[in-house]
Amino acid sequence: MQNRILKKRLIGCSLFLMLLLSIPAYAGAPLSAVENTVNRVLDVLRDPKLKGPAAKPAKTEKLRVIYKDMFDEMEFSRRTLTRNWNKFTPEQRREFVDLFEQVLEKTYLDRILEYSNEKIVFYKETMIGEDKAEIQSKVIASSKEVPIYYRMILKNGKWKVYDVVVENVSLVQNYRTQFNEILAGGTPEQLLETLRKKVKTH
Amino acid sequence: MKVNLFILVLVIFFFAAVGFPGCPAPDAVCARLPEMGDGQVTGDGQWGRGDRLWAMGNGKSQDPVHAESPSAGEDVPARKDMKPSGRSQDAFQDEYKDEGQDYDDEPFADERVTIADPIEPFNRLMHRFNDRLYFWLLKPVAEGYKEAVPEPARISVKNFYYHLLFPIRFVNCVLQADLTGAGSEAGRFAINTVWGVGGLLDPSSNQGIELPKQNADFGQTLGLYGVGHGFYIVWPFLGPSSPRDSVDIAGEYVLDPLSYFTPWYTSLGKRPLKMINNASLSLGDYEAVIEAAIDPYIAIRNGYIQYRMKEVQARRAKSLFFRNRKNAAPEAADPPPAN
Repeated sequence: MQNRILKKRLIGCSLFLMLLLSIPAYAGAPLSAVENTVNRVLDVLRDPKLKGPAAKPAKTEKLRVIYKDMFDEMEFSRRTLTRNWNKFTPEQRREFVDLFEQVLEKTYLDRILEYSNEKIVFYKETMIGEDKAEIQSKVIASSKEVPIYYRMILKNGKWKVYDVVVENVSLVQNYRTQFNEILAGGTPEQLLETLRKKVKTH
Repeated sequence: MKVNLFILVLVIFFFAAVGFPGCPAPDAVCARLPEMGDGQVTGDGQWGRGDRLWAMGNGKSQDPVHAESPSAGEDVPARKDMKPSGRSQDAFQDEYKDEGQDYDDEPFADERVTIADPIEPFNRLMHRFNDRLYFWLLKPVAEGYKEAVPEPARISVKNFYYHLLFPIRFVNCVLQADLTGAGSEAGRFAINTVWGVGGLLDPSSNQGIELPKQNADFGQTLGLYGVGHGFYIVWPFLGPSSPRDSVDIAGEYVLDPLSYFTPWYTSLGKRPLKMINNASLSLGDYEAVIEAAIDPYIAIRNGYIQYRMKEVQARRAKSLFFRNRKNAAPEAADPPPAN
């Protein structure tokens, strides 16, 4: 009898332990990770001290820090190049990652700086396996709603964004098609040259 | 005896959930890709998951000479030296050797869509035409219009044009066997006609009523029935399309109530106003796409098919008939590369 009660307790304890120990897998849940980052961006954008065109460089600099923290640019680059990655030498890869980051930064920074108090709602988190998640959000403007999904990967205990899906269009996929097409008929050097020009002309 | 067994199962389950120390975690990604033999590569629980990829490559980077001809076996001994940093020096040395498997976005693989583009030279020409049309004509006009007309009025005009195309959305909801959607559209039409001053306002979207808009069109319906895009076409003025989706151009004319009362050429006059009005509400969107793109033509082409595929998927999920059928449309027919 005593033994049976002990066993029951043991089962109870192990069940409890299981619950307890499975929590760390979801620690730093991806949804709150993106939400926090986006809120940090909004704080910068709403900061009254950073208003006006004179404060733009300071604003940009602050945003860059947040952006670097949020995105996994390696993952982004490799996912867009896929097998083409192997055609690049390590030096070319380094340059590619840098240039690609600059292209993305410049185009999206301008968009972000245009922000004028649209409402941003995060409403869904879908876990895909244990290390990937999709966070669904939407930006609500007066004339339309734009769905933005963040795809995240867990690395070293940190959730980082590796793809952004804007209005159902995955950025990684979109760039992948472009790079595929360019590299099908050209060399990595030509692609880098195109990117260099792109960064300069902005 | 039974209880002992139960405890044993519990303990096994417990370790399976938490991860055996020193054993690969049986997480979904590993389980789905058994052929990669990553069981040997993934070691401790921490590295066994998202970092598997870097772990595999970092091993190789110890030996850059052999970087071009990696084999899975080489990775194992060197693994201990790697540093847990997302962007280590070694990451640049890593070869991409997963042959698409790992970057296939396993959960999102259905998105890998392509479209045939046999008339690319024509399309590129039309793309250029539309691009010039936007920057030289549509944008300046829309900017002036934006200055002159306050935003609520422009939103009303947009609502009105949207309201007019109710028949298309209703008919397609029915054709797609989405009766809830059809009901929602009918309700929207009635409410917005009466309370929304003939469709200028959109009270149906307000709280309390909340009848969602149904963006049903003929292209989606055909997609649901298993008709593929065919190939890519860029129409002058109208932009990206395909033979399948072009059905809507005709459908818009046939089912547009105004087209019965007015001579056909008035629709030519109507479209520019619609274009200018809508452009005034989304100034900057097109520019952002173009600026972000390395090859704008391909960026738009890919964006278009991704967008359309998601729409068809969303409509399929709502359909009573097609909900449970596997993707019949050859849209996502790009097979994953053989390993």
